[in-house]
Amino acid sequence: MFLRSLPCQSCARTMAGLLSMVLLAGSAPAQNPPGTPHNEVLIKNALVMTATHGNIPNANVYVKDGKIAAVGKDVSAPASATVVDAEGKYLTPGIIDSHSHIALDNDVNEATSPVTPHMMMIDAFDYQDKAIYHGLAGGVTTSLLLHGSANMIGGQAVVIKHKYGANRDAMLFPGAPRSIKFASGENPKRVYGGRDQLPSTRMGNFAVQREALVQAQDYMREWDAYEAKVKDGDKDATPPKRDLKLEALADVLRGKLLVQIHCYRADEMLTEIAMAKEFGYKLRAFHHALEAYKVADQLAAAGVGIATFSDWWGFKQEAWDAIPWNAVMAMRKGVRVAIKSDSEDFARRLNQEAGKTMRYGGATEEEALRMITLNAAWIIGVEDRVGSIDVGKDADLVIWDGYPLSSYGVPSKVFIDGDLYFDRSLPGFGMPHYKEGM
Amino acid sequence: MQTTRNFVRCRLAPRFLLAYLCLCTPVLAQQEQVALRGGKLLTVSHGTIDDGVVVMENGRITAVGSVNLVHVAKNARVIDVKGMTVYPGLIDSETALGLTEISAEPMTNDLIESSEEIMPHMHVYDAFHAESELIPVTRLNGITNAIVAPANRDTLPGQDSFVQLAGRSAEEMLLVRDVALPLNFSGEQRRDERGESRKFPSTRMGLAAQLRQTFLDAQDYAQRWTDYEKRKADYEKAKSEAPAKADDKNQGKDKKQPPSPPKHDLKLEALLPYLEGKKLVVLAAEEANDLETAVGLTREFNLKFVLNHISHAQSVLDYVASLKVPVIVGPIYEDPKPDERYDAVYSLPAQLNKRGVKIAFASYDAHNSRNLPYQAGFATAFGLPHEEALKAVTLNAAEIWGVADRLGSLDVGKTANIVVANGDPLDVKTDVKQVFIEGKEIPMTSRQTRLRDQYSEQ
Repeated sequence: MFLRSLPCQSCARTMAGLLSMVLLAGSAPAQNPPGTPHNEVLIKNALVMTATHGNIPNANVYVKDGKIAAVGKDVSAPASATVVDAEGKYLTPGIIDSHSHIALDNDVNEATSPVTPHMMMIDAFDYQDKAIYHGLAGGVTTSLLLHGSANMIGGQAVVIKHKYGANRDAMLFPGAPRSIKFASGENPKRVYGGRDQLPSTRMGNFAVQREALVQAQDYMREWDAYEAKVKDGDKDATPPKRDLKLEALADVLRGKLLVQIHCYRADEMLTEIAMAKEFGYKLRAFHHALEAYKVADQLAAAGVGIATFSDWWGFKQEAWDAIPWNAVMAMRKGVRVAIKSDSEDFARRLNQEAGKTMRYGGATEEEALRMITLNAAWIIGVEDRVGSIDVGKDADLVIWDGYPLSSYGVPSKVFIDGDLYFDRSLPGFGMPHYKEGM
Repeated sequence: MQTTRNFVRCRLAPRFLLAYLCLCTPVLAQQEQVALRGGKLLTVSHGTIDDGVVVMENGRITAVGSVNLVHVAKNARVIDVKGMTVYPGLIDSETALGLTEISAEPMTNDLIESSEEIMPHMHVYDAFHAESELIPVTRLNGITNAIVAPANRDTLPGQDSFVQLAGRSAEEMLLVRDVALPLNFSGEQRRDERGESRKFPSTRMGLAAQLRQTFLDAQDYAQRWTDYEKRKADYEKAKSEAPAKADDKNQGKDKKQPPSPPKHDLKLEALLPYLEGKKLVVLAAEEANDLETAVGLTREFNLKFVLNHISHAQSVLDYVASLKVPVIVGPIYEDPKPDERYDAVYSLPAQLNKRGVKIAFASYDAHNSRNLPYQAGFATAFGLPHEEALKAVTLNAAEIWGVADRLGSLDVGKTANIVVANGDPLDVKTDVKQVFIEGKEIPMTSRQTRLRDQYSEQ
């Protein structure tokens, strides 16, 4: 259906491949290769759930150059645009998973030291992992792939778009801010305590974290002094030795990284807030945050969001006080709340998880939707780019069979940057750009 | 509450005792009649009644029907459920409820006796913890009954119990003890551990051989007891005839010792009702090859079985249908294999239903058992008719577990396990408003609601 013109000669082979696939697929529409500029799509007659300004029934969304170009009842498009009729269906922004460990081929934790801020998750990113496809088929278009929670200070995340079948670099979210994973509580205790190493207690946890931050302060001071000398024209100034670990932490102190903290218990959230204040960095979000409802006022005051489960509980001691009303109770106190997966399984049905917040605590439909779109985008720091159906945002869109915030919502088609990446009606894997063995 | 109040009044007012007796007698002798009126009834067995009434008395359903047709006693307590949906309590066909409290804390878990592969003499009822905090959490979502099974790391991990999720003690909650015997053959039963320690069995061949030997031993054991019973009967008979021959000269010479019984073996004894086809084996396999091997084993020993999981047996569903046994299906959230389409497991319930296979859903969980209905709902998005999905968490389960005379539908005579909710039972948005178990209004509280209320104050 995007087969207007062959964009370039070198694409011809790909096109031939796609065409043969299309022929095999019978009536399936033709596609132009992902990322082709000037793709134009008009999604018509959908119930558009914008996530920012309510629902628009029987509305159209015009997509051009991978961006949302127009939204509304009377929106039309040039004849060159591919028309997708979504009558009787729902259209939402692409779902955003603000806590994921997929596509890392089990390289989630560099659990050899409790402080590893120089680990870069992109170095482990396995872009061929089928879990990316499974999430895509559940409507997920963007995920934050985080380091695990074995370490008090883990590694730096990578933000991906679920363009399964595209090459590795095409899957990276361009210009996404850097995030770093911190952790607290039982996991670091268990991992290192189990080896009779520091930390084995919550005292140990926070001592390790503070010590690392103090070292980073010293490191930053050395570099600041050096740069000041250079600035003053001191030609004899010698740069301090670069230390990747401390450099990453210095970036935390300089506010260059979004700090994402794995934290369950209320008291630990307060300690983390206090430590951030002491060292002068800002926290972006507490992840899991199952006791956020106990300290929601303090979280709101500190401007920290949460990325939480809808109703998971009891899997460990620090999840024993989890209640399914957590998300809405925290939200009502002014905390920005996202529902995340932290699981290959849940990533495939985050829409249902968000739907549960309407039942547990009475989130409105739009509030529930934001927990897996705009609020999740904010946690990742890409809220200006994705997370709602607004003009100028990336055309990451999901057409749903069935009401999305229910047990019955299933993605029918998923677009990323205006390209169709998943189509339930297609045979095989349902991915127009993917062929097994690619 | 009503009962208590009337009772107190009777005792405090002896002067009016006679007058009160008229009022109190029915209350003292039995529960009051309670009528849920005006709701949409999903009977499961005979369709939907839009403006219906369900009457409960003495823990049983005594009337079900349209408001116009059902007579409600004058003194009945009538609860207006207009706008609500009323349906039978849901049944979770495999859980670990009562065997676990906090997953990561070993001392709160009694899930599996993993020292040996063959442990049919483990009884879930011996560990079932009636006071578990998970039980109120689960029943608040309308789940009133469940199979409690040991974890699946052994091929024969022990015997399941069928429970009711309310009661003063385990005694009251365990409706059917040893209701079924799980036989796990998913190819994963402790193979790694065994492999490392080089202990038998470490392969599927080993697991199968061990099972076969076990069942042969049990048959042999049964035979030894049969022989013994026969010898004993012969002896008793001979003895009873003995006095008549008391003067027989040869008596001393022929005198027989009473036969001694074989040694008891709890393990083998536990298997006997299953070998006799009196009880159900729950045969778990994931993939086609394991399924066929496992079915072959049960055939060898004429076991009566239902299938469990079969999450990756899509290629042999016609074969599954030909077995004419029910399937406990799922969890449908199981990840597809890399070469499978994303919805290969999601659509399994629909595929089985299409082939006429009776299915029931299970959470295979404890903490998340409360999400059982959503799994059934999700399966409808992949082609399972809604009515069948609801059956698969109610009546089908009751039939499979042999309790359909008591549970699984809104029918006169059945136990009054009834849920009142503000909408579709299978949808995540639906809020359960009231649960009745054996006609009793269950307090809609749990540890979680208490925490919610505690931190909502301020």
